[in-house]
Amino acid sequence: MSTPTDNNFSAISRLLQFTDSTFPVGTFSFSNGLETAQFENMVKDADTLREFVWSQSLQAAFSDGVAAIHAHRAYLKGDYTGIADADRMLILFKMNDEARLMLKRMGKKLAELAVKLFDSPIIGRWLEDIKKEEVPGTFPVAQGIAYAAAGVSEQDLFVAHQYGVVNMVLSAALRCVKVSHYDTQKILFDLSNKVEDLYKEASQMELTDMNAFFPELDILASLHEKGAMRMFMN
Amino acid sequence: MDFSNFQKYEKLKDLTIPEVDFATAREMQPYLTEPPQMYVGAPGKHGYLRMGFELDKDGKSIMRDLDRRVPLIVQQELYFDQAMPEMPCVYILSSGGPNVDGDRYQQDITVKKDAFAWISTGAATKLAEMRYNYSGMIQNIVLEENAYLEFMPEPVIPCKHTRFICDTRMNVHPTATVFYSEIYMGGRKYYKEGELFEYDILSVCSHGERPDGKQLFREKFVIDPNKVPVRQLGVMGEYDVFANVIVMTPKEHADKIYAATDAYIDRENKIAVGITHLPNDAGLLFKVLGMEPGPVKKIVREFCSKVRMEVKGKPVPKEFPWR
Repeated sequence: MSTPTDNNFSAISRLLQFTDSTFPVGTFSFSNGLETAQFENMVKDADTLREFVWSQSLQAAFSDGVAAIHAHRAYLKGDYTGIADADRMLILFKMNDEARLMLKRMGKKLAELAVKLFDSPIIGRWLEDIKKEEVPGTFPVAQGIAYAAAGVSEQDLFVAHQYGVVNMVLSAALRCVKVSHYDTQKILFDLSNKVEDLYKEASQMELTDMNAFFPELDILASLHEKGAMRMFMN
Repeated sequence: MDFSNFQKYEKLKDLTIPEVDFATAREMQPYLTEPPQMYVGAPGKHGYLRMGFELDKDGKSIMRDLDRRVPLIVQQELYFDQAMPEMPCVYILSSGGPNVDGDRYQQDITVKKDAFAWISTGAATKLAEMRYNYSGMIQNIVLEENAYLEFMPEPVIPCKHTRFICDTRMNVHPTATVFYSEIYMGGRKYYKEGELFEYDILSVCSHGERPDGKQLFREKFVIDPNKVPVRQLGVMGEYDVFANVIVMTPKEHADKIYAATDAYIDRENKIAVGITHLPNDAGLLFKVLGMEPGPVKKIVREFCSKVRMEVKGKPVPKEFPWR
């Protein structure tokens, strides 16, 4: 197992590498229900987009974010069971079919990449178990493992995770909502101020504390799952 | 030693009911003060209900097992479902009126092999204003091979400053079907100037498992209107009423019910409906948002009819006009 390093140069470089939009895990294919929200005229401008993205951010913080944190901690302790527990618990908690598909697809891609980047038996074992369908292989857990292996701290992992969620929706917004780059950058900039509070809460939570109450998002996701209109995979 | 007293004590011990305690739940930490009035778990504030349904020797589905403690009341099963007259129907009543500060409840429901049942409540469950503690409920729902249960209670009305936590475990055989619905109102919408989402917290967790203990899904929502604005886009938006329906059923049934059920947003009537598959092929999850309980209840009932039609080949009859 690689141990976290004090070498901040490489940790920051890897943080930038893993959060870059060209990092090949397929974030561009997903809109997290934004496409349907736009079609239903619920997200129509910068203000409504901001609310929608904030809901996505909260939803992810107290589910995916918690799983990522637990996977990060388990990796640093060399606790493979802890990683598998976080992975399985997150899938039990994901009520939406397309969300499960997205998390598993991106998780496997990141695991395949991480195996090549890090010399880590734990990551190798996890990828093997994903292939054998013994663990679901979710993206937040993959993030937790990869960031831990890269020497990125738990707090920075959480920031990167939140950035990923918000940026994914905002990037999709540029392609399907009438907003400008100025609007999306301002939203991203402003929402970054809230990440600290989210981390304070999420970092105290056990896996069984994961929770979400976003019925409107759930219904939008269901409409997308049932609908014919598809530019994005969710 | 007086042996007769000892025997009496042992018998009393059998009559004790399980403790309901959510003191370790993270979200309830601010609400653990003992109420100065009737203490937590006092007689009348700790309701218990155990109902067991099974087939009798003639193959009739009956409620064979019943244990109840105040304030919960169940009298006997009735057979009033016109589309399925063989179905035992039970109303759960409460002699205590609303759930009050420090109330605890547990409901254990078992439907044995091939048996079936319908359960509801006599009226909406009101959650009264609370100042010190919370109201908590544990439910264990167990369905054996090929069993069938429709659990369709009236809506829950959370008043200002109420705190409610509920944990529902559904242990369901792969061949059985449970229809489990919950409807949450925003509050006493027409009381005084209107009271919507003024409660302190609602924490609701429903989890499904197989008889061998394999975990299938775990849905938990914690609604704390002071932390996350309920009116935010993506949460409740403009809607006031929320229904959540879990249907655990074999995959072949789930796929057909899913195909026959639409997801839609009706902007004119302000109704939104969604459906998706639960993880691990456990069944379906159906959600409804609306403005008033009437239309939401109707949609939940129509969805139940689809489930019953698929599994039992019979519809759910129209609701009684007085309900």
